[in-house]
Amino acid sequence: MGASGSGKTSMRSLIFSNNPASLASRLGATIDVEQNHVRFLGDLILNLWDCGGQDSFMDSYLSTQRATIFQQVGVMIYVFDIETREMNKDLEYYRDCLDGLRQFSPDASVFLLVHKMDLVREPKVATFDKKKKELQEASGDATISVFGTSIYDESLYRAWSNIVHTLIPNATILSRHLTTFAEACSATEVILFERTTFLVIATSSSSSTTSMPLSLGTDEPEVDPHQLDPIRYERTSELIKAFKHSCSRVREEFHSLEMELYDFTAVLDEMTRNTYVMVIVHDPTIETAAVKLNIRLARRKFEELQGDSLTS
Amino acid sequence: MTAVRPSYSATSTSTPIAQRPPLNGHKSSSGGDGIARTKILLLGLRRAGKTSIQQVLFNNLPPKQTFYLETTMRIAKHTIDTVIPLEIWDCPGNITIDALAPLSQFSTMIFVIDIRDLYNQPISKLVEFIEAAYHDNPNISLEVFVHKAEKLQEDDKIENFRQIHERVSDRLLDISPEYEQMQLNFHLTSVYDHSLHEAFSRVLHKLIGSLPYLEELLNVFCSNSQSPKAFLFDTRSRLYIATDASPVDSATHNLCCDYLLMLNSFGPLYKSISASPPRLRQPVPATPPPSASSSASLLSPSSSPAPVTPTTATPLHPSYPHTPSPTSPTTLKSKPKDLFYPSAATSLNSSAPGSGTTLTYHLITPQLALLALLPTSVYETRRGLVEYNVVYFREGIQEISDVEQEVRGGG
Repeated sequence: MGASGSGKTSMRSLIFSNNPASLASRLGATIDVEQNHVRFLGDLILNLWDCGGQDSFMDSYLSTQRATIFQQVGVMIYVFDIETREMNKDLEYYRDCLDGLRQFSPDASVFLLVHKMDLVREPKVATFDKKKKELQEASGDATISVFGTSIYDESLYRAWSNIVHTLIPNATILSRHLTTFAEACSATEVILFERTTFLVIATSSSSSTTSMPLSLGTDEPEVDPHQLDPIRYERTSELIKAFKHSCSRVREEFHSLEMELYDFTAVLDEMTRNTYVMVIVHDPTIETAAVKLNIRLARRKFEELQGDSLTS
Repeated sequence: MTAVRPSYSATSTSTPIAQRPPLNGHKSSSGGDGIARTKILLLGLRRAGKTSIQQVLFNNLPPKQTFYLETTMRIAKHTIDTVIPLEIWDCPGNITIDALAPLSQFSTMIFVIDIRDLYNQPISKLVEFIEAAYHDNPNISLEVFVHKAEKLQEDDKIENFRQIHERVSDRLLDISPEYEQMQLNFHLTSVYDHSLHEAFSRVLHKLIGSLPYLEELLNVFCSNSQSPKAFLFDTRSRLYIATDASPVDSATHNLCCDYLLMLNSFGPLYKSISASPPRLRQPVPATPPPSASSSASLLSPSSSPAPVTPTTATPLHPSYPHTPSPTSPTTLKSKPKDLFYPSAATSLNSSAPGSGTTLTYHLITPQLALLALLPTSVYETRRGLVEYNVVYFREGIQEISDVEQEVRGGG
């Protein structure tokens, strides 16, 4: 949910429909609620309710359609346009929605996305922090996660990876298995992506890096001997997705990737029907073929795990 | 202005380190560093897009940021080292011919016209410059970039392009019928897609003296590796220096450009402070090490490693072996040689089963990379052989580039 023109539909188009950011300008206003059933991880169905933000629709959601909209909600994602001129009105609608949510789905998680960050002049961090404080105050005592996003860079992938992470039932188990797999490959890191959206599902926690970039934007100093770039996950999602799109323009479908560069070796290949795995190795004696062999051997276990995830 | 440089046909060189300091108002034609540079002139009316072309291609400026570029006030000379050293003169919109005399010092003149500008002004200016340039040096390469093509729809684009082409030709013919044989090349370009790269690549081809040798190496590589298409790209600017004889299909070219962009972006992401440095190149020991990171001695897992015999450096045009051999001999040279060159491969599935393509990337020199398409079946079963071919290809290219460097007096 969010005000009209804040960017809800374009986000959906980018992440779930795999349209490039350049096509977002062609999207029109959403009329009432657009429901999308998105297949995620194969068997998990995400029921996305893209709610049109014009005032008349918002008023109706909060009154006549209140029960329909706010019942059985798993996650509420509220989008704020950083450049909005009607902050007070936005905040008021937001508070009303939060009330509606608490009334009908008290266990739902709340994510707030401060969108169109690309339009903000430097320093962006200061502007974002100010906004975040404002939103935290407006939310009262509800636990919320706030992210700054833009469809033109990797920040959107970061926010959405965090959002879907909460929907995957056995994320910690997956992470544990990925860690074992990483050790078997002598890899520095192993990342599991969802196939269509390329959002990060789980990562291996090697040495002392945490398994997922935490929400709430906390900057915990991580004692990471490799000191890898903190935005690498979302940046990888963004790059691969852009490349996949280029491939589709030549009517070819991206399948797998391996690279041996000066700084590292990486293999990106299918793991299960719905996931891709990326293995990063820093040891120069490891061949990509060996990693691929390991992936092939691990496939069955991960298929099993995924099957379990949906029954648990 | 100092003495005029003759047209560069037989020799050109490359220097391994790319640097781009803009030199303003220098009189020296060799850029102050003693290297003979090929000069390219960028002309056009104000706001035509000249500076944005130079910045996007050679300074990695994101296309959206070109909107904010300031007007160029004076001639800016940018030195760029790709496979040959270049000096690009980015001129302000109101430049006169006298300010640029002698026009014969330029190997190429690129005139940039905004595609929406159908009025007479740019065309008059263009014709004026063409006349002056042709007069000084009939061999100068004349290119017109009909720019900002993204502003119009498909049909209008083509229509405007055609109109501009026609009007320029008509004007030239009016002046003198002998201008009919003039080689004037028109390109439809935009910074927002790869058309600019393709157009500039073609411009660059005319300036590279060793192009026939590069193309021949590519042809031999392609025919022996069953590759339908291969490009030699400059990694930083993503311009292709040479390609094999098969026709260039825009879609494939775009895919390769995107692939290169992706690989370049990936580099810094997983760079590890602690683990990365030991991976860097080691000098060649007496016997080839079994290190797996060396693409020269890479063996496919199924073949049994046979004893590897070192051989001496091969001549410029080696004949590629046709029979598969289980090992790939490494070569020794007197100076220490890098053993490890980055490589990457992406496999793509297409709709017909069993006909997937693999897009391979091999770094040849620190600036040049070979991007070759291979059928996935060939890549998977004969990978060792393909990489063996790449090693010879690499040596050929390196020898050419060493020679050029010497001749140009680079350093």
